Amino acid sequence: MIVYYKVIMRPFLSIFVGVKWINASRLSHPMPFLLVSNHNSHLDTMSLMAALPIKQLIRTHPVAAADYFGSSPFKRFLSRWVINALLIKRNRAAGDPSPTDLMISLLDKGHSLILFPEGSRGEPEKLQAFQKGIGAILKRRPTIPYIPVFMSGMGRVLPKGEKLLVPFDSYVAIGEVSFAKSEEVEQLVAEVEASVLQQREILLNMIKQ
Amino acid sequence: MNYFLSNRFTENIEVLSIILVILGILIFATILFFVLGKIVPGDKVRELQQRTKSWWVMASVFILATVLHPSISFVAFGLLSFAALRELASISKNIRPEDRRVIIWCYLAIPVQYFLAYMGYFNLFIIFIPVFMFIWIPFVLVIRGFTVEIGRSMSVLPVQLMFTVFSISHLAYLLSLPELTGFNAGGRGLLLFVVFLTEMNDVFQFTWGKILGRHKIIEKISPNKTWEGFIGGFITTIVVAYFIRFLTPFTAMEALFAGAIIAGGGFIGDIIVSAIKRDIGLKDTGNLIPGHGGILDRIDSLAIAAPSFFYFVYNLYYA
Repeated sequence: MIVYYKVIMRPFLSIFVGVKWINASRLSHPMPFLLVSNHNSHLDTMSLMAALPIKQLIRTHPVAAADYFGSSPFKRFLSRWVINALLIKRNRAAGDPSPTDLMISLLDKGHSLILFPEGSRGEPEKLQAFQKGIGAILKRRPTIPYIPVFMSGMGRVLPKGEKLLVPFDSYVAIGEVSFAKSEEVEQLVAEVEASVLQQREILLNMIKQ
Repeated sequence: MNYFLSNRFTENIEVLSIILVILGILIFATILFFVLGKIVPGDKVRELQQRTKSWWVMASVFILATVLHPSISFVAFGLLSFAALRELASISKNIRPEDRRVIIWCYLAIPVQYFLAYMGYFNLFIIFIPVFMFIWIPFVLVIRGFTVEIGRSMSVLPVQLMFTVFSISHLAYLLSLPELTGFNAGGRGLLLFVVFLTEMNDVFQFTWGKILGRHKIIEKISPNKTWEGFIGGFITTIVVAYFIRFLTPFTAMEALFAGAIIAGGGFIGDIIVSAIKRDIGLKDTGNLIPGHGGILDRIDSLAIAAPSFFYFVYNLYYA
């Protein structure tokens, strides 16, 4: 996994694809934390994981949908041992643990999570409304900080439904480590969404200046 | 190690001396701005320090790519073209989302072009992009079948290829030129000559503009460009060209003329990229190199100066 992200993915992303990380040093914050980002491409997870310091990397899990990434034994193997993903079921049967419980138990063990509250990758380079999960977690563990991230360009490099990767300059803007201020789930979701949008503004200003 | 270091480099006093000159200038600039920073601290000096630091990196990479084995130089220039094309394609608003797959063809042209340069197939080298890709890209666009605003993509993609791949590959081709009797520095000398002068011309224009600049040349596109800066840079570049002509087979007169071509070409390349950026509303094309913007901001002058210089020397000595 370390080899995959640090030796293969990192140079591939920075030299071939053209990913540029902004304020990546903020990721060396002590664990656990939640990385909250917009989602346009499979490369999103790769770019975030590849930017983490090795100490953080081995205990950080991208949260992914089990029906997509666990649909075959091979995919399950990759998700578990290469991607380091936490698979959650979108449609769960009676008796399955709730996704929130799964995530919280990992956080309590000192692991970090990467969350894409938009749910799916959606249309390239468009932001969808955030879902409630992130709010539920922050409500139950208000002492765990979150890091808002905005990514731009990945939706052009490898959009949903495309198999061919085309290099374009892309940016990963990493925000400051923040603690949730709100109390209720809806407000928490809105707060996180606003901080991700703020990263978008910062990124746009940086590129345009 | 001997395999990687070209043997000609170690016995090549001309190339060695220009590298020492480059290092000397960098050390001088570093000390100058360090002292200046102590006397009058401020944002301007800090920017100059930042720029000098970036120059160290760029000069080191360039010198390494030049003195190592030629095949490494070709790969390095190919990567430069690739990064520049990627940057230009990324900021361009004239490329449609449907053109994604066509851009792959543009990227694929890079290894082909540099292979032709490496092998020294001159006739193919000069027609591959301006003739073959010029036809191939519109053809692939038509096959893809999205006709809305297809004309724009047909025009923009070949131009981007010309600007970032065709032009820069001429720097690499200098290394494939045959040896001339009585001319020691060879292709490496010519390469160092054109790159050193182009970059120095940028610095000279910037410096003269800061010291004397009053009259704007082309305010709407590049507000920092002044007649004083342009003329000062032009003259200084020609003078420097005269003194470093030991890198070239030129007579004194030809060296002056080459300096003029480089200074003029550099200026044209610079304002073309400025205009592209202005169209999009950017100040810099990227923020890869601190204090310098993106890769395009650095190679804009070279994109015009390199092929102009190449054909000048080619037609005089190699045709």
